[in-house]
Amino acid sequence: MSISQSNEKSFGLKSVIPFFTVVFLIILMVLPYNMPLISDIMPYLTLIGVYYWSVFKPEYMPVSVVFAIGILQDILLGSPLGLTSLLLVVVQQFIFFQGRRFLERDFLFNWFVFVMIVIGFGTLTWIIVSLYFRVFLDYIGIIGQILLTIAFYPLITWLLGNTKKMVS
Amino acid sequence: MKGFGQRFTAFFFIIASIALLIFGRSQTRLIEEIRAQIFATFIPVIQVVDFPREATSSLSDWFRNIAVVYSDNEFLRAENAELKSQLAASTELEVDNLRLKNLLKIKDGTVTTITASRIVSDSNSPFFKSMLINSGTNDGVKKGHAVVNEDGIIGRIINVAPNSARVLLLNDINSRIPVKFAKSGVNVILAGDNSMTLKINFMPNEEKALVGDIILTSGMGGVFPPDMAVGKVSEVTEIGEIRIKPAVDLNRLNYVSVIAYEIASFPVLNQEQGEENGETGNNGDQ
Repeated sequence: MSISQSNEKSFGLKSVIPFFTVVFLIILMVLPYNMPLISDIMPYLTLIGVYYWSVFKPEYMPVSVVFAIGILQDILLGSPLGLTSLLLVVVQQFIFFQGRRFLERDFLFNWFVFVMIVIGFGTLTWIIVSLYFRVFLDYIGIIGQILLTIAFYPLITWLLGNTKKMVS
Repeated sequence: MKGFGQRFTAFFFIIASIALLIFGRSQTRLIEEIRAQIFATFIPVIQVVDFPREATSSLSDWFRNIAVVYSDNEFLRAENAELKSQLAASTELEVDNLRLKNLLKIKDGTVTTITASRIVSDSNSPFFKSMLINSGTNDGVKKGHAVVNEDGIIGRIINVAPNSARVLLLNDINSRIPVKFAKSGVNVILAGDNSMTLKINFMPNEEKALVGDIILTSGMGGVFPPDMAVGKVSEVTEIGEIRIKPAVDLNRLNYVSVIAYEIASFPVLNQEQGEENGETGNNGDQ
């Protein structure tokens, strides 16, 4: 095997790591925790994953992969098919629209931008699901989800940061 | 040019997602099968990831059980004595009930326990209340089967794969279950609204509900057998909304039973009807 072939193979394996980290985050979201509070305010872990990889390694998180992640989450959560894929693709396009260099700054700035994104994500989720079921749904749970997602951001990005070292 | 291509791809996936949202609503057979196949593929992965949590939980349960075994034993002895005294009266009532049903030619439906299953996944969302269990068509589970445990009803099967199935919980916004008030026998509909309590729809104006009233399944609809525990009235608001606290603690589910309920056929009535039709036919021939 030539060196170039070997490099191509390692690039190929590395390129799927971000995808699998986000799939792992989806699985963490659907585990039966048997805790009253958690079942209503589970943080959007996949949003953190997609945001992180779209900012720091966008070449490993193409829009088709984001779409697939969204569909997979909808299937495992039992949510309307297309809901999460739509929202995640929109978030990723927002990130690309801002430009990587804009977001690739210090952690606090990044976290602040993420807070804006998660508020938009949660609000859009609530609006779309309310329209889908044609019912004015209670929004207390979504506020809890937004707050918990913001709180989990440093931990998840720290874990993903360590994973990124493997990819780089 | 590359940027344009990327935007076009993103636009395509946004449109695809919206199309899925619109057309997926109808829950076509194809979409249901795809959903089932994909979650079936992930069940083993979820179980592996869940193993540490499951093991820790089992261990803590074991220690807790050891700690309370003495007090539990005392309680169970007392309960056993009480149940024994109730058994005689209950048997007598059962015999009376059977005799009266025979007199009225009432046939009970049949309830078959299909399988016992473990919950492997929870939607953990404020908007969708469903769970995945580790039994599917291979175990005889079908769409529409009821899911219960020793405390009462939990939900019904809405999607089945060979080794797993999705259970729509009774507090999901799409859940509607025909129930009745145990005391008055008034038939109403129990509706979920994603909260931990349920609401009663179609309560007749002349009927009144009181906090503590027991709610049972009515058996209408053919999914749940009649007279299974559903819950108790926990609140009656000033505007007349009746809230029900489920008998089952939906946040503490580990194992469930899948049951099939078959509504009784009425062979005697059908036979009589057939005879009547036959007579009419003969008359017609004449």
